Amino acid sequence: MSLFSSMQVSASGMAAQRTRAELLVENMANAETTRTPEGGPYRRKDAVFSSQEQSSPFSAVFQNEVSTGVAVSDVIQDAGAPDMRYMPGHPDADATGYVAFPRMNPAEDMTDLLNASRSYQANVAAISSVKDMISRSIDLMR
Amino acid sequence: MLDGVTGNLERYMDLLSARQKLVASNIANADTPGYKTQDVDFQFEFMSLAKGQQPQTIEPEGLKEKPDGNNVNLDREARLLSENQMRFNLASTLLHANLKTVQEAIQGGSGS
Repeated sequence: MSLFSSMQVSASGMAAQRTRAELLVENMANAETTRTPEGGPYRRKDAVFSSQEQSSPFSAVFQNEVSTGVAVSDVIQDAGAPDMRYMPGHPDADATGYVAFPRMNPAEDMTDLLNASRSYQANVAAISSVKDMISRSIDLMR
Repeated sequence: MLDGVTGNLERYMDLLSARQKLVASNIANADTPGYKTQDVDFQFEFMSLAKGQQPQTIEPEGLKEKPDGNNVNLDREARLLSENQMRFNLASTLLHANLKTVQEAIQGGSGS
């Protein structure tokens, strides 16, 4: 039944938006991080979404219809030059007294986070609407 | 009597759930670059769709495309989401009433 696969599609949207929100929160938390395991300042991360056909082993056997969900296909790191600030007293300062800080735009991260949250809500609304349709169908048997 | 009306209602509900799935896909892909809104031509499919067949998906025209090539309009999808749900509720209520009538006929009007 295609209504159940709609829920799977919306769930994939929720998962993707949640991943995106996690990355954005990580970015904001690391806005001032100058040391990372890879060396150098923290680099801003962002999720790349791509549409993906949803199929579960069950539906592959039971039906052949496809539904288009979404998945995080890649996490890109900002490759731009870091933000150099003059702080001679800082332990990570280079020979000239400049410290490499992550290049961050808090406004951009906040709007993206709001966007992710709204998209998440839209997916939740889709699930509850489909859930209502399913329970209506089940009510037919009463 | 049973086949004519309930058959049509069943097809109607089938088509609505197929459309609802596309709306769910559109909402899930609202931030996917290059994704194009998917829909079904409802009137056409309802008239021509044979039982058990999957409806054809189309890409509706006239939607504003964002710079990343995505043209999902969340307002449109939200409208369709609740519209489909209400249509489905109506159809299921009608179908229920229909089945109830048959049930009453079987029980000779004595059952509850």
